[in-house]
Amino acid sequence: MSGVDLASVLLQQNGSGNATGNATNATAGNATNATAGNATNATAGNATNATAGNATNATAAGPTSETPLPDLISGLLGLDGFGIWGDAVAALLGAFLIANVMLTMTAVAGPWAKRKITAAFTDRIAVNRIGPFGLLIIVADAVRLLSKELIVPEGADRPAWDLAPIILPFSALLGFAVIPMGSGIQLADPETGLVFAFAAASIASLGLVMAGYASNNKYSMLGGLRSIAQNLAYEIPLVVTAASVVIFTGTLRMSEIVAVQSQPLIEAGALTIPSWFAFVNPFAFVLFLVANMAEIGRNPFDIPEAPTEIVAGYQTEYSSVYFVLFYLGEFIHIFLGGALMAVLFLGGAAPPVPALGFIPGFVWFVIKIWAFFLFTQWCRSAVPRVRIDQLIEIGWKGMLELAFANLVLTAIIVGVII
Amino acid sequence: MIGILKGMATTLKHALDGETFTVEYPDVAPEVSPRFRGVHKFSQERCIWCRQCENVCPNDTIQIVTDSSRNGEQYNLHIGQCIYCRLCEEVCPVDAILLTQNFEFTADTKDEFVYNKEQLKNVPWYKDIDPLNSRNPDRGAWIGEGEGEVDYQ
Amino acid sequence: MSLEDPEKEQQGALEGRSREDELADLLGERALSRDDHKNAPAFVIRPDEVQDVLFDLRDQAGYDFLSCVTAQEYEDRYESIYHLKRYDNPMDEVSVVVPTSKQNPVSQTAEPVYKTADWHEREAYDLVGIDYEGHPDLRRILLPETWQGHPLSLDYDQDRPQIVTLREHANPLEEDQRASGTGANAHSNTVESGAVDDAADSDTMYLNIGPHHPATHGVLHLKTILDGEQVVDVEPDIGYLHRCEEQMAQQGTYRYQIIPYSDRWDYTANMPNEWAVARAIEDLADLEVPEYAQVLRTMATEFGRMLGHFLAVGTFALDVYGDFTAIFMYAIRDREKVQNILEDLTGQRMMFYYFRLGGVVWDLPEPREEWFEKVRDFLDELPSALEEYHDLISQNEILQLRTVGKGMLPKETAKQYGATGPVARASGIDMDLRRDDPYGYYDELDWDVAVEDGCDNYSRLLVRLREVEESAKIIRQCIDLLEDWPEEERTIQSNVPRTIRPDDDTETYKAVEAAKGEMGVYIRSDGTDTPARFKIRAGCFNNLHTLAPMSNGEYIPDLVAALGSLDIVLGSVDR
Repeated sequence: MSGVDLASVLLQQNGSGNATGNATNATAGNATNATAGNATNATAGNATNATAGNATNATAAGPTSETPLPDLISGLLGLDGFGIWGDAVAALLGAFLIANVMLTMTAVAGPWAKRKITAAFTDRIAVNRIGPFGLLIIVADAVRLLSKELIVPEGADRPAWDLAPIILPFSALLGFAVIPMGSGIQLADPETGLVFAFAAASIASLGLVMAGYASNNKYSMLGGLRSIAQNLAYEIPLVVTAASVVIFTGTLRMSEIVAVQSQPLIEAGALTIPSWFAFVNPFAFVLFLVANMAEIGRNPFDIPEAPTEIVAGYQTEYSSVYFVLFYLGEFIHIFLGGALMAVLFLGGAAPPVPALGFIPGFVWFVIKIWAFFLFTQWCRSAVPRVRIDQLIEIGWKGMLELAFANLVLTAIIVGVII
Repeated sequence: MIGILKGMATTLKHALDGETFTVEYPDVAPEVSPRFRGVHKFSQERCIWCRQCENVCPNDTIQIVTDSSRNGEQYNLHIGQCIYCRLCEEVCPVDAILLTQNFEFTADTKDEFVYNKEQLKNVPWYKDIDPLNSRNPDRGAWIGEGEGEVDYQ
Repeated sequence: MSLEDPEKEQQGALEGRSREDELADLLGERALSRDDHKNAPAFVIRPDEVQDVLFDLRDQAGYDFLSCVTAQEYEDRYESIYHLKRYDNPMDEVSVVVPTSKQNPVSQTAEPVYKTADWHEREAYDLVGIDYEGHPDLRRILLPETWQGHPLSLDYDQDRPQIVTLREHANPLEEDQRASGTGANAHSNTVESGAVDDAADSDTMYLNIGPHHPATHGVLHLKTILDGEQVVDVEPDIGYLHRCEEQMAQQGTYRYQIIPYSDRWDYTANMPNEWAVARAIEDLADLEVPEYAQVLRTMATEFGRMLGHFLAVGTFALDVYGDFTAIFMYAIRDREKVQNILEDLTGQRMMFYYFRLGGVVWDLPEPREEWFEKVRDFLDELPSALEEYHDLISQNEILQLRTVGKGMLPKETAKQYGATGPVARASGIDMDLRRDDPYGYYDELDWDVAVEDGCDNYSRLLVRLREVEESAKIIRQCIDLLEDWPEEERTIQSNVPRTIRPDDDTETYKAVEAAKGEMGVYIRSDGTDTPARFKIRAGCFNNLHTLAPMSNGEYIPDLVAALGSLDIVLGSVDR
C-alpha cells in the first residue's frame, strides 16, 4: 500500500461518492498490508465497540463545530433514520476507515520508509529493485512474513502468548479513536479524550509483559520486565507534562485542546507564530518528546528490545503473523505518539501559517506524525541506547521532577499572571 | 547534550548530502584491481606438466593426472576449496595457470566446482583484462614470449 | 635485587650472558639443564617445581607477563614451555621448559602465578593431553567435552569416530564416551555445576548468551549467571570456530603453505598475522629481509591494523547504540577505502597473502604515482573521518555515561591475565611490541604509542581511535620513503631457497603487535620442511579471558559493551 492509496481513500471519503463501495475497495486494496486480515478486522471491530458509545454520547452533547466522522458517514449513507443501529454501523465504518488508514501508513513506514530513512543516514540506497523506489517491497515483505511458519515455543503459556501480539496493535489503534485528525475526521470526542488516549496507549505494556512472560524464554522475560519498568518510569512524567497543557486549555477534550492552539501567539508583519504549545511552552514540549520516545520504546530508550543485549526482548520467540502484529503494533504506537505530540503541542491538524490553509488539515496531521516518525528513526541512527538502570534513574530522578516543576510553574503562570 | 546534538548533526549531514557508497551490483560491474585474484584460467598448450602448482598448493586444490610417460591427461582444479593464494601462478614457469579477475561463478552442488581443464580454459577474462601484464610487466621477456598477445586457447 | 635495576637492564643488551647467568643463579639447583631457544634462554625444571620457579621469576626477576604456554609431545616425553616476558621490556625473555614423562604426564599448574595460564593450560590439556595438577578447572576448552583423545598428541587417531552424545541420551550400558579417567575430571565442570546450583537458587538466573546472539561477534557462547540483570559470573565457552590451524600449519611447508592460512586467524586485521609467521620462520631459518621490503611490510601492516580498528570501533558502536547506528556504516565506508588500497597492492580485499619469507610478493602497483595519490587522498580525508567518529562516539554524553568507568580492567589484573594490545594499553600498560621489540621499519619512524589510564570500555575505544591516527602517521612516512627509494634498490624479496629445512630441534617464539594484541608464533623444527610443532599465541584468546573480571557485577548491557571493547575475533580465539 502506498501514499497514493491513502490519498484516494481520503478523497473518496470526503467526496460524495458511494462510501460503502469505497470502503470495500480500501479493504481489497489493503490485502497487501492488512497482514492478518483477521486481526485487522478484530482490532477495528473492537475499537468500534469501545468507541461507539462514546461517539454517540459525544455527538449528543458535544459542542464541537465539526461533525464527528461517524455522523458524517451516517449522513452520507442515509443511515440517520435507523436509530441506534444506524449509529452503530456508521461508527463501525468510521473506525474501520481510520484503522485502515493507520495500518496503511504503518505498512509504508515499516518495510519501506524505515529502510529508506536508515539508508539515507548511513549513506546507502536501500530497497530499490521491486517496483518504483522499491515500494513493492511492502508487498513482498508481507508475503514473505506471512508465509513463514508460526513457531510456538515449547512451554509457551498459550492463551497469553497468543493474545499478546493482538493487544499491542489494538491498544495503539484504540488511541486513535479520540484523536482529531483534521478535516473533521475524528471518531469520537469525549470530554475525557486525553485521558482515554493515554489509557489506551498504556494497555500496550500489558501486551509486552504477557509476551515476555508467556514466551518461556529468558530474554523475553528480561524484555518484558524491562518494558514494564520503563513504562512505569515514563508514563507519569508523560501524563504530568500533558497535564501542564491541560492547565492552559482547561479541558481534556481533544478538539478543544486543538482549538485553543489556533490563535496566533505572535504576529510580526507577515510572520505569524501560532500559539501551539510547542512555542508557548517549549520546555514541556521537549520533556514530552523525551518521555514519549521512552513510552514508545525507541532509541535511545529501545531497551525492552535492545537487540544487541537481549536479542529481541519480548518478541524473541514470535514469528510469522504474530511477529507482523508486533511490528505493526510498534509502528502504530510511534504514530500514536506522533499524533499525541501533534494534538497537544503542534496545533493538531492546523497549518503552521494560515496562508497554507488551503492544504487539507488531514494532510498536515499526517505530515506532523511522519515528522515524529522521522525523528525516531534519526535518533535510532545517531543516539546510543541508555542502560536500563540509567533509564530508570533518568525517569524517576530527572524527568519526574522536571515534569512536576513544569506543572507547578505552568499552574503559577496560568493562575497568577493570566 | 552538545555531543548528542553533534552526533545527530553529523548523521543529518550524511542524510542530506545524498552521497552513497553502495555499488549497484550487478547493474554496475565493480572495479577490480589488476592484481585481484579470482577464478583460474589454464592453458594446456603452455603447460609442461611439471606439477609444481600441484605441489605448492596448500590444500590440494589442484589435481594433475599424467600417463606413464608423464604426458598430461587431466588437470582438475577444485575451485570451491581454493583459498586464492596465487601460489600456483607464482611457481608456474610458463604462465600456464593464471588467476583472472573473474569472481563470479556459481554452481548448484560442490561437485560442479571441480573444474577440468576444458572448463578452466573457458573461464572468461573479467572486463577483458588480461592480468598478466599488470602483475608482472617484465615476465613476458623472461619466458621468451616478448611482445604480443598471450594465447590461452 | 639487581635484576630489577634499570641501569642493569640497560646493560642487559650489551652483556646478555650476565642476565642469563643471573637467572641461572636465581634458579640454582632447580634448573636441571639448559634448552635454549633462538629467542630466549630456556631452563629445564622439574614438573613439581613449576610454581616455585615461576613465582621467583615473577617476583624477583620481574617477569610479569606469561606470553604463551606451549605444550608438545616428543617421542620420549611431554613438554610444557612457559614463555615469559616483561611488560616493561618484552625483549627480556626467558622460557621455562617443563618435561614430563610419557606414562604420567602430570605437571604442576602455573595458574596461581599467572592467571592467564588457566586458559593456556586448559588448551594444552585439550590438544596435547598434559595434566596440570592443581589447576582449578582443567576441562577441554576448544573441543567439545565429549571429544576422545588429544589431537596434537603423537598417537592420536584421526580416523577414530567422535561420538558426541548428550548427557541425557547416554546409554548407561555403554561405555562412557566422554573423556574420563584422568585426574583432571576431579575439577571439571565446576562452573557448570555451579550454574545449575545457582539456577535452582531463586536469586540468580543462568543465561546462555550465544553462540547465536547479535552481540557475540561470531560464534561465542557466554555462560552467564545473572542476579536480576547484573552479571554474577560469566564464563566464555569457546571453540566453535576451531579449525585446527596449528595442525594445518604443521602439515604445510615453511616456504609457502603456512602464511596463506595465517590470514584466516584474525580475519579482520590479517596483515599482522602474516608478519607473525614470517618473523618466526625468518628467525628460525636466519633469513634476511631487504630494507625496502621492510618498509612495504610496515606500511601494509598498518593498513591492516586500520582495517581491524575501523571494524572494532564500528561494532563497538553497534553494541552500545543498537543495530542500526550510522557509525557502523561510516566505519565500513572507511574500511572499504583501505580495502581498495590493499586490493591494488596485494590483489585481495581480505585474505591478502602479501608476505613471503624474506620479503613481500609485490612491489607497489604501477603506476606508482597514481597509487601514492590514492593513499594520500585517503590519509588527507582521514582526519575529517576521525572527527566524525569523535562527534558521533567519543564525545557523545550518553555513550560516555554508558562506557566510562564500566568494564574496569585494572592494570594489575590486566597483567595477570596476559592482556596485550589496545586492551592492555587502555589499562595503562605502556607496551607495544612495535616499539619495545622492534621489527620491520618501526624503530626508524616517528610515531607514538597510544596509552590511556581509564581501564574502562571508553579508554579501549579511545586507544583504538588514537592508534588509527598513529597508523596514518606511520603510513605517511612509509610512502614518503617509498616514493624516494632509488629504483635500482627496490628489492622486494631476498634470495630464499625453494625449500627451507631449518636445523633439527631449533625452537623459537616470536611475536608481533597485531591489531588485537600480541600475536606470537612458536615453532619447533625437526629437520624437515614442515614444522614439528607450531603454536599460535593469539591476543584475542588472552584478552577474552579478561572478560570475567571485567564484567562481574555489571549489567548485561555493560557485559556486551565490554565484550565489544575487547574486540575479539573468534577466528583468532579458536584458531
